[in-house]
Amino acid sequence: MLNDNRRSRTLLYAGIAVFALFALVPYYWVIRTSFLTNFAAISPDTGFIPALGKLTLESYTQIWDRFAFVTFFRNSIIVSVTATIISLFFAIPGAYAFARLDFPGRKALFYTAVFTIMFPWIVLTIPVYEVFYFLDLVNTLPGVIIALSIFVLPQNIWLLQGFFRQGIPENIEEAALIDGHNELTAFLRIVLPLSLPAVAAAALFAFLTAWNNFLWVFVLTTDEEVRTATVAIYYILGSDVLREWNVLMASLVLLVAPPVIFYGLSRRYVGEGLGGTPG
Amino acid sequence: MARLELDEVTKVFDTSAETIVAVEELDLDIKDGEFVVVVGPSGCGKSTTLRMIAGLETVTDGEIRLAGERINEKSPKDRDIAMVFQSYALYPHKTVRQNMAYGLHLSTDLDSEEIDRRVREAAGMMGIEDLLDKKPSSLSGGQQQRVATGRAIVREPSLFLFDEPLSNLDAKLRKHMRTELSRIHSEVGITTVYVTHDQEEAMTMADRIVILDQGTLQQIGEPKEVYHEPVNKFVANFIGSPSMNFVDVELERNADGSGRLVGEDFDYSASDRLLQQLDSSTSELVFGIRPENVRIAPDAPTDKSIETTVDVVEVVGSDNFIYLDLAGREFRIRAPSEVEPAEDETVRLTFDEDDVHLFDSASGEALAHGYPDADVTATVEQSDTTAD
Repeated sequence: MLNDNRRSRTLLYAGIAVFALFALVPYYWVIRTSFLTNFAAISPDTGFIPALGKLTLESYTQIWDRFAFVTFFRNSIIVSVTATIISLFFAIPGAYAFARLDFPGRKALFYTAVFTIMFPWIVLTIPVYEVFYFLDLVNTLPGVIIALSIFVLPQNIWLLQGFFRQGIPENIEEAALIDGHNELTAFLRIVLPLSLPAVAAAALFAFLTAWNNFLWVFVLTTDEEVRTATVAIYYILGSDVLREWNVLMASLVLLVAPPVIFYGLSRRYVGEGLGGTPG
Repeated sequence: MARLELDEVTKVFDTSAETIVAVEELDLDIKDGEFVVVVGPSGCGKSTTLRMIAGLETVTDGEIRLAGERINEKSPKDRDIAMVFQSYALYPHKTVRQNMAYGLHLSTDLDSEEIDRRVREAAGMMGIEDLLDKKPSSLSGGQQQRVATGRAIVREPSLFLFDEPLSNLDAKLRKHMRTELSRIHSEVGITTVYVTHDQEEAMTMADRIVILDQGTLQQIGEPKEVYHEPVNKFVANFIGSPSMNFVDVELERNADGSGRLVGEDFDYSASDRLLQQLDSSTSELVFGIRPENVRIAPDAPTDKSIETTVDVVEVVGSDNFIYLDLAGREFRIRAPSEVEPAEDETVRLTFDEDDVHLFDSASGEALAHGYPDADVTATVEQSDTTAD
């Protein structure tokens, strides 16, 4: 019996290891290639684990020299952070209203909002472009920010209303009302601090969606000054006949770094539970 | 401390699908310092009533007055009340001390020293001094309940509201907290409205019991009163455990004023003392007798007894609950532990006419009680042992 257990355990860990390897190898390959010279990157002699002497920061320095990556990254950060803040600013009260208040058309509005999450964005490109062109927002950062805020909003509302509905017992708000708050201060002083984990999770998703967004930035911008890093990579990829894999991989590493850092920062809050109330 | 009055208070929930009358024209007058328990089955409107008093629910019609002042339109924070919720509703991100002090910080201009003194005093009363710096999540259900009660006490409000505060505790702790809450009430003497679905809680704690069903008031009275003189079949059935036995009977009157109550497998002679309380035209009745008032007596006279078959005997230690079959319907009796008939045994049951209740079969209204009013107190010892 004990042997059986041990055997199945070993098999389990072996299986997990295989899957982990399968998942991690591409990431390793990206990082490995980004630290090689262009020639070493495509040479079969380099080996799976390259010799320490072959590693170089050349591709990273090239990125800064050859492309306007400072601009792209600045744009990406401005766009993602602002879109996250704007979408949360509207999603928090919106989600709270859907979760707690009873008003005419609540269900219809909510399902409309949720439906837009499932709606393929690509179908909307032309009308959205028309609207933004009409409003003179094409090729501007505010235009990109507004587009991303709007498209991130439904998923935030959906995520937060679920938390408000199930994570915050109504009685706690009622206790706050009796303790001396009004509806607004009870929300700001009691509900919102308790909702920090969900707000952090929503912020994380919003940031990731905005950071990784390709479609709207691609459709709404043409100038380099307003291009984000995600779209810039596409142009780098398409710009050279001879592909410089090391440069491409280095820009990928740079592209992935901010979301990873952002996740690390918000993880502290995302993981926190509620506790303290039975049933 | 204050008197609380409800004047024809009505609550209607108007949703798109349907209109629900949760509370209908409820009149209550709760004296200063009184402990009133509102009891009834789920959906009877008891919690809605409490929430209207707290200001968490609007009043559709009628008036609520606290200390003579109309409070219908006042927000919860301006009503000078404190409430204990079934889920305790403690703030999870605050310590016990902060939880208790929060209301005082928000709604009074007391300095921190005075607030701290009051928090420590209330904590002492609830026996939770050691927990003051802990977060609610690290406390047991019983401790959280104490903190929630302490949070209410510290406010020193005019009115305490309790919404099923003991429902989430286990049976033993519940009984303990019951006594404790009663003790605290007698110490602080604040007018209290306590909502529960547990009739035993109501019986043991209340100065007066308010019984609601389907949003309407059934009876208000002292525990003994609602136990011994229920105004209708609903109250008779709801109060007391196990609940009262009911048998549909027809009254056959004799010339001398006495008569016989006749039902299926049921025939009981009633004296004119009992029957004179009835209208002469009434004949369709529901006969009611509490399980604790029935005894097995093999040699009881046939006109004062009924014959039944034993279904199940439940041994609870102090007593035996015996479930019998009377013409296909369940008949319950509560017997001393030494009385333990075998299953399927036929037994003869008897009871005193003093314990009999008669109800109108159509309306359910009580028409006659065997107990003369003066005897109510003398027999209460017996009913106090009612267990769950």
